[in-house]
Amino acid sequence: MIDFYSFAPEIFLLTLILISITLGVLNKDATITINTTGFSLLIIFLIFKGHSLYQNSLFSLNTINLILLSKIILSIGSIVFILLSRRSLKNENLFRYEYILFILFAILGSFVLISSDNFLTAFIGLELQSLSLYLMAAFNTKNLNSNEAGIKYFSLGALSSGFLLFGISMIYFDTASFTFQNLANFSTISEVGLALVLIALFFKVSAAPFHIWTPDVYEGSPTISALFFASLPKFASLIFLFRIYHELNISKIDSLNYIFQLVCAISLLVGVYGAITQKVIKRLLAFSSINHIGFILLAIMSYQYMSEGTIFFYLIIYLVTIFGVFSVILNLRTSEGEITLLTGLNGLKASSRSKAISMLVFLFSLAGIPPFAGFFAKFFILSASINEGLYLLSVIAVISSVIAAFYYLSVIKNMFFNESENELLLDNSKLSSFIFIFSALVLTLFFFYPDPLINLIDSLFY
Amino acid sequence: MSFPILSLLILTPLIGALTLSLSNSAQLKNKTIFASGLWIATGEFILSLLLPIFYDKAENGYQFTEFHTWFDKFDINYYLGVDGVSIPLILLTTFLVPICLLCSWNSIQNRVKEFVIYFLLLESFIIGVFVSIDLVIFYVFFEAVLIPMFLIIGIWGGENRLYATFKFFLYTLAGSVLMLLAIIYIISITNTGNIEIISKFIFDENIQLILFLCFFASFAVKVPMFPFHTWLPDAHVQAPTSGSVILAGVLLKLGAYGFMRLSIPFFEFASYYFQPLIFSLSCIAIVYTSIVALRQTDMKKMIAYSSVAHMGFVTIGIFTLTQDGMNGAYFQMISHGIVSAALFLIVGVVYERHHTRMISDYSGVTNIMPKYSFFFMVFMLSSVGLPGTSGFVGEFLVIMSTISVNVYLTIFTAVGVILGASYMLLLYKNVNFGDVKSDIKKLTDLTTIEIFYFTCLAFLTILLGIYPKLLFDMIDASISIGIL
Repeated sequence: MIDFYSFAPEIFLLTLILISITLGVLNKDATITINTTGFSLLIIFLIFKGHSLYQNSLFSLNTINLILLSKIILSIGSIVFILLSRRSLKNENLFRYEYILFILFAILGSFVLISSDNFLTAFIGLELQSLSLYLMAAFNTKNLNSNEAGIKYFSLGALSSGFLLFGISMIYFDTASFTFQNLANFSTISEVGLALVLIALFFKVSAAPFHIWTPDVYEGSPTISALFFASLPKFASLIFLFRIYHELNISKIDSLNYIFQLVCAISLLVGVYGAITQKVIKRLLAFSSINHIGFILLAIMSYQYMSEGTIFFYLIIYLVTIFGVFSVILNLRTSEGEITLLTGLNGLKASSRSKAISMLVFLFSLAGIPPFAGFFAKFFILSASINEGLYLLSVIAVISSVIAAFYYLSVIKNMFFNESENELLLDNSKLSSFIFIFSALVLTLFFFYPDPLINLIDSLFY
Repeated sequence: MSFPILSLLILTPLIGALTLSLSNSAQLKNKTIFASGLWIATGEFILSLLLPIFYDKAENGYQFTEFHTWFDKFDINYYLGVDGVSIPLILLTTFLVPICLLCSWNSIQNRVKEFVIYFLLLESFIIGVFVSIDLVIFYVFFEAVLIPMFLIIGIWGGENRLYATFKFFLYTLAGSVLMLLAIIYIISITNTGNIEIISKFIFDENIQLILFLCFFASFAVKVPMFPFHTWLPDAHVQAPTSGSVILAGVLLKLGAYGFMRLSIPFFEFASYYFQPLIFSLSCIAIVYTSIVALRQTDMKKMIAYSSVAHMGFVTIGIFTLTQDGMNGAYFQMISHGIVSAALFLIVGVVYERHHTRMISDYSGVTNIMPKYSFFFMVFMLSSVGLPGTSGFVGEFLVIMSTISVNVYLTIFTAVGVILGASYMLLLYKNVNFGDVKSDIKKLTDLTTIEIFYFTCLAFLTILLGIYPKLLFDMIDASISIGIL
């Protein structure tokens, strides 16, 4: 008998989608109200009744907490994102209710992915998520770059899905099971299968050397979609990667562990070397996100000596920063449309002090320079990896963050030292101002007083 | 003493900077902003004077300690305290910052508010480095210092400021991150960030060597020692006068302070093991940079290279690992902090009037600006190490202490002193004596403000030169117990 209760959040989301489809035709703005309310209710439900969902499941308490926390973070992120997207899409004359649906489908896919306990469900979740992302990339149909981004993302994404399916079928061939719990002892064939699964996941989180699509897709797609690619689905895929790394004990399988370490090192380096020469803001952010993925992979590998706390701390700080950065960029326009080049940020200090200072906080936090929370996020990961004995990777990580400091500084240079060429039209929406000021405050506050967040996360994972 | 004076020292400039940043800049005149910044900095100086007054020299260990838990999970705490080694450096900082603001009164005209804010932030972070006795908070302040300095050089610097400020930032950061790895490793072994406890911990010898090198990378860049010194001339030449003053006066001391406070107490074996390396690098620094300084045509660059040479004495003194050597090195640090700051101000004075730093553009200044030449002479002689000035005591003690370690070292350091005298005298001669150039005639002599701060600096130089016991009383016990 199927335990429908444990799907409650997903079913709720599906209902929300159905309501949005019907309502969206009549009133676009109403879908936004409905969805924010819906997600708020979902958050309240997950916080107070979340544990009852998985009573009958085989998950350990740790995993349940992991799933619930991720879903809560995803829901909060969705609310913020839906509100942000409305304004941004209206500026671009792209405000159509389908966009909201794509967000919902992607989040539904992420939910399924996070809480899956076998490869088939995971595949369905991942595909649902990815298909919505392809559409979001190509959403600006009148813009050729956006179309190109969508097609590029789709064709490469389809290839990676092929890898994923092939890997899963190899595992099934070997063990006759899809469920994670049943996969205890691996033969060579399952190892190869698992390697293919990992490669597909690395593609989804844009870890190098499977990152080629990232800069192009970020650049071509609407800025608001790039924010989405960089934040929520990536977060979900990383959580899933983390889960299979530990539930399948990949750290014990040498060959796969090597792959992991190699991908981590390459991501750290490619991320920074790629970013140095970039002149387009979104490409720079794309490469910088690749570097951050490297850090997160490092955290995943050194799990034993810390807890989920390290990873969640890093991911939360990263999400907050990314939302902050993008809400500043979405607010900056010239008479010719939104700014794309880094030189567009010239003289931001003179035209808007609060934006420039918030960006300063975000960039120093991304670079991991104290006194901002990004420092501790990196600090915890490095201390975990040193405890784990991954010295070489730790050295690569810190070297990469020195190089990263260079390009973050050049952005700061543009904002603070250069004179602006074009008049910046500041689109002062209250919501995004609130988001970036709030994010900057959070990043500063978590540095001086990180205990509450760390203790909260730690209390969930004994 | 339960009064949280150290936190207050960190917070006063910080809160001052915050208040300034929230104020409405359109309504404030530049003078008002400078004046309020100056008031804050002066108040901070008076506050810091409480430290030597209430410091109990008879008692060992850290005083005025403050302890607040920062992380429950790790033993990383907000743990502050000072001993005899930190107090003079704190005083030097709080003394130099008002002077920096005073000397920029006329030269900085654009974005005044930001300038004052960054200086106050810088002061707060530097004091933070000197008062922290927890590794993580030490590192945090050590890194945070870079941000305001990056902006100060980058916004108000000379024509090639971007190159200089990037080089400064990245060199220092590259050194520091290795230290960060070492700090994390130490914390993972000892389970604490407390410097006192780690000083008593004895690391495995091979590990000591690696950890020492990691710390060395960070501090050697900051000091700067010979192969890592190339950022310094660039940064100095491009920085505004006030930036050079604080850079030469205090920031270079962070590295030497790090050697004294962390490297030597933590890694005793490695300190002895790497003695030859550090001696050779310092000797090269002293002789080589002195020769380079001789050939400079730019005044600021010459003084920048002389800084590298003088800091070479400091590193030699510290790594003799004797009481005399340490005392001498420390004295040299403080003396260099005052004298080189004063020399950069001296250059700043003529640069502000004549807008060139080339030595060849000046000649016969003494006829036009007699007061200026007088102060120039005082600081020049102190830099050369004339007995009776502070420069003498430090160099003398360092050279004396090297005899017991290695005679060749004595020879090199003595050669360094002679070379130092030659380039400083050459600089003084070229600028001040000779025929008066026609475009020099329009220059005006020192203003009252300039006379005021030069008098303060000259007074300190001579006071320390005549009565060095003032400083030795403070540091002797802390060096013999805390570091050696």
